[in-house]
Amino acid sequence: MIIEIGHYALVLSLATALIVSTVPAIGAWRRDSAMMGLAPVASLTMFVLVLIAFGALTWAYVVSDFSLRNVWENSHSLMPVVYKVSGVWGNHEGSMLLWLLILTFFSALVALFGRNLPDTLRANVLAVQAWISTAFMLFILLTSNPFLRLNPAPAEGQDLNPVLQDPGLAIHPPLLYLGYVGFSVCFSFAVAALMDGRIDAAWARWVRPWTLAAWTFLTAGIAMGSYWAYYELGWGGWWFWDPVENASFMPWLAGTALLHSALVMEKREALKIWTVLLAIMTFSLSLLGTFLVRSGVLTSVHAFATDPTRGIFILCILMLFIGGAFALFAWRAPMLKSGGLFAPVSREGALVLNNLILTVATATVLIGTLYPLVLETLTGEKISVGAPFFNLTFGLLMIPLLVAVPFGPMLAWKRGDALGALQRLYVAAGLALVAGLALYYVENGGPVMAVFGMALGFWGMFGALADLWNRANFGKLPFNIAWRRLVGLPRSAFGTALAHFGLGVTVLGIVVVTTFETETVLEMQLGSSADVGGYTIVFDGMRDAVGPNYTEERGHFTVSQGGVAVADTWSSKRIYTARQMPTTEAGILTFGFSQLYISLGDPMSDGGIVVRVWWKPFILCIWGGALVMMIGGFVSLSDRRLRVGAPRRKAKPVPAAMEPAE
Amino acid sequence: MFLWIILACLTAAVAAVMLVTLARGAKPAADDRAGEIAVYKDQLAELERDRNLGLISAEDAGYAKAEIGRRLLSAAGDAQADDAPGTRRGMTVAGIFVVLLVPIVSLSAYVTLGSPQLPDQPLAARLANPGNNMALLVAKAERHLAQNPNDGAGWDLLAPIYFRAMRLADAELAYRNAIRLVGTSPERLSGLGETLIAASDGIVTEDARLAFEESLRLSPDNPRARFYLALALEQAGRRDEARAAFEAIAKASPADAPWMELVQQHIAANGGEAAPPPAAAVPPAAVSQGPGGPTPDDLSAAQEMSGAERQEMIRGMVESLAARMQEDPDNIEGWLRLIRSYAVLGDQEKATEALNAGLKTFPADGDEGRQLVALAREVGLSVDGVTQ
Repeated sequence: MIIEIGHYALVLSLATALIVSTVPAIGAWRRDSAMMGLAPVASLTMFVLVLIAFGALTWAYVVSDFSLRNVWENSHSLMPVVYKVSGVWGNHEGSMLLWLLILTFFSALVALFGRNLPDTLRANVLAVQAWISTAFMLFILLTSNPFLRLNPAPAEGQDLNPVLQDPGLAIHPPLLYLGYVGFSVCFSFAVAALMDGRIDAAWARWVRPWTLAAWTFLTAGIAMGSYWAYYELGWGGWWFWDPVENASFMPWLAGTALLHSALVMEKREALKIWTVLLAIMTFSLSLLGTFLVRSGVLTSVHAFATDPTRGIFILCILMLFIGGAFALFAWRAPMLKSGGLFAPVSREGALVLNNLILTVATATVLIGTLYPLVLETLTGEKISVGAPFFNLTFGLLMIPLLVAVPFGPMLAWKRGDALGALQRLYVAAGLALVAGLALYYVENGGPVMAVFGMALGFWGMFGALADLWNRANFGKLPFNIAWRRLVGLPRSAFGTALAHFGLGVTVLGIVVVTTFETETVLEMQLGSSADVGGYTIVFDGMRDAVGPNYTEERGHFTVSQGGVAVADTWSSKRIYTARQMPTTEAGILTFGFSQLYISLGDPMSDGGIVVRVWWKPFILCIWGGALVMMIGGFVSLSDRRLRVGAPRRKAKPVPAAMEPAE
Repeated sequence: MFLWIILACLTAAVAAVMLVTLARGAKPAADDRAGEIAVYKDQLAELERDRNLGLISAEDAGYAKAEIGRRLLSAAGDAQADDAPGTRRGMTVAGIFVVLLVPIVSLSAYVTLGSPQLPDQPLAARLANPGNNMALLVAKAERHLAQNPNDGAGWDLLAPIYFRAMRLADAELAYRNAIRLVGTSPERLSGLGETLIAASDGIVTEDARLAFEESLRLSPDNPRARFYLALALEQAGRRDEARAAFEAIAKASPADAPWMELVQQHIAANGGEAAPPPAAAVPPAAVSQGPGGPTPDDLSAAQEMSGAERQEMIRGMVESLAARMQEDPDNIEGWLRLIRSYAVLGDQEKATEALNAGLKTFPADGDEGRQLVALAREVGLSVDGVTQ
């Protein structure tokens, strides 16, 4: 009965979504406050209903109710409970329900925290959110219903894809969806503003927290996905320019651009039309990613089931929303008043440069991702656009952007002083070059380009610190006064500095690991050893082990440095019994920011085993940098400026938007 | 019924929440640009802070202040008339819309998509009370074995059940575990052999042959093992030896044994003289009591089939193999099996074709090629053309 209640709640949420799609929008048009006032309550109801449906499905997974086709196809009674729960979204139907849950969650957040918005804007935003919700509810109910039953029920499930039986599944998809779907709010704001015909600096400030939140989660989601692929797939790679990765990276690039252009719009009322366009593009790219991943166009671990009707349905959603939004944009955008002027060398100018490069980079990735698909559809020819293409195009584009990053925050609004900024940055530049050279000598023997790459990473890091240093005016003012100024800086300044610093850390990690990583493939016998990255690895033999739903052969390795044992690890090959599918579990040891990655290959006839050992210097910087960027995002979100603008409508205090702590 | 009551309550609650909200009518905001004005005022305050901290020069601050001030003025001057409170007509129409849409959409969709008659079926509850449900009993045994993988008797019990359900990989594993843990027995070995044969489309593989030989060693009179060993000879193209083996089975078995008809057919197929078929067909019930002969299912299926039909079935299997080999010729096992199958069917022409096709991928001077030629000699194909 619980399952049927969940199913009904989903259907009921569709009915609610239809009401939110229509009544408040008509109300906004007629300026009827009662009809507009329906939007927040109904949006909350919608969220609660989808939550009931999601809860019912989760319950069915936890108790292994195989009368539900979705549970039978993707679960197994012997799986640990944590994988039973994360298995809810480890398949197509369930993950679409999670997508919907997060979409309605954001609607509910707008309903709760959007009291400072003008009534018509809020009603329209929630209506547009409901249009998107309606489309995805129809998609789920008509093509991917997780609540379809089996009668009689089978006695055992078909198990979850073993690659997905990992804590990563519990974290990566929800974070990624919070990012993807979070951009739907920006999209709804853009469309609502176009419907309203009024966009101003205040609009930009209201959109910014949502952009920032979505961007922060997407950053975390992508980094988590990259780390998961790194440790689970056993190839030691952390980014493959795989179309699925690109699908998540494009909204991130566009979202980063949006974050910066919204800043210009908030401060100067410039770049209005561009910002609206970016908001539409960012969510369009999220939808495109969903289409690419879910339609079966691509084969990957993310394409759970390929069903042409689903692909066509998502394509229709895609065309409806992207086409509709762009048509509305073409019609309404010329009516918007243009804003402030600025000189080429100014904060705005730097942010325009940032936007220019990020959009071109997005286009590059888009072409690299779609071109092979289009070519295959038209001519049947299969080509692969891989790392060489992206490194050459995307990599080159990033160099000027990375060079420019520290300048941005140093320049004044409206008209800046490039020479002045340069003067303030020469210490950072000198330090960066020295640090790059130093690291080069420590690691010894990489190509000369690596020095520049590393210097670029340090440039980002020191530039961010220099920004804070100069704002607080250390060096010119006595220390304790400068310190007080530093503490008094707005949190958004720290957010900016942290995010730019994190970017530098990530760049540093990427450059060092690509340049200095070593890969050793060797056949090891019991007791044989290998020297990698200054450590000696001794193979202590294989042992059989049994997990809850798999059997594994694992090899034990002892790692020593200078004759002293410093660590040990297991590396294993598993067979998941239900699907008879093998996976590798690499043994990974962390030394500072660097890692030793040991992966087992095939056993040899003479009792030895092929072992691959990678030394990955500074690899943790890649994800550590993303983590710092994420922290920067949250710090910026906590800035008090994002909370003002609430008209006093009622006596009781308005809840703080997004972040209560001061 | 109880379910419908809950669903009705849920629907009513959702509709009621929305109706109450509509009826109350939100209080219109005093000024719809108030939010905007608050934002600009805050920007001014922030500017003041920045100026006091010296983060911005007085000149720049002046420009910015003028700009924000212009925005503030335009927002304040632009403030439009208050929103109308909800009109009675609008509320009524919206209310009717809610009352109609919510139940109609949700009920019609649910009646189409839902399964209100099915109760929840958590596995734990079903396992506690499995009744006669074979699948559940198997699942229960599997759970037991997952926790006690060294319970040989459990594997022994499951193995034939898996085989009958055609879960061949599971059956093989279960038989091998049972043999490892409890020891060999004629039944286990024959069962393993039959599983392996079924898994390779009816061809007696080397593994299967070894299992039956071991089984025969333990119980020399086992007709099932002898039958499959004879079949192995037949499939290898050693027709005379096969016929002799089948005739020996026929001699050792009682005349009304259920497997006699099948044995006679094989004697005939290998060029011997078939004895007249038994007078009465054996009822399936008697077959299942048979003394360890070929499995009841096989026999009853074979009994229902005429010789021509069976030949047809085998030919279909071989043709699908031939099609597979055309797509993926890089598979020596497949070629060997295909050539042997054509030889068993007596189709020399096709067998020679398959041999030549196989030799295209695996030249006769390679290891695999030599296997092909050796097999061709064994089944009596002309290999003069290829060996030179």
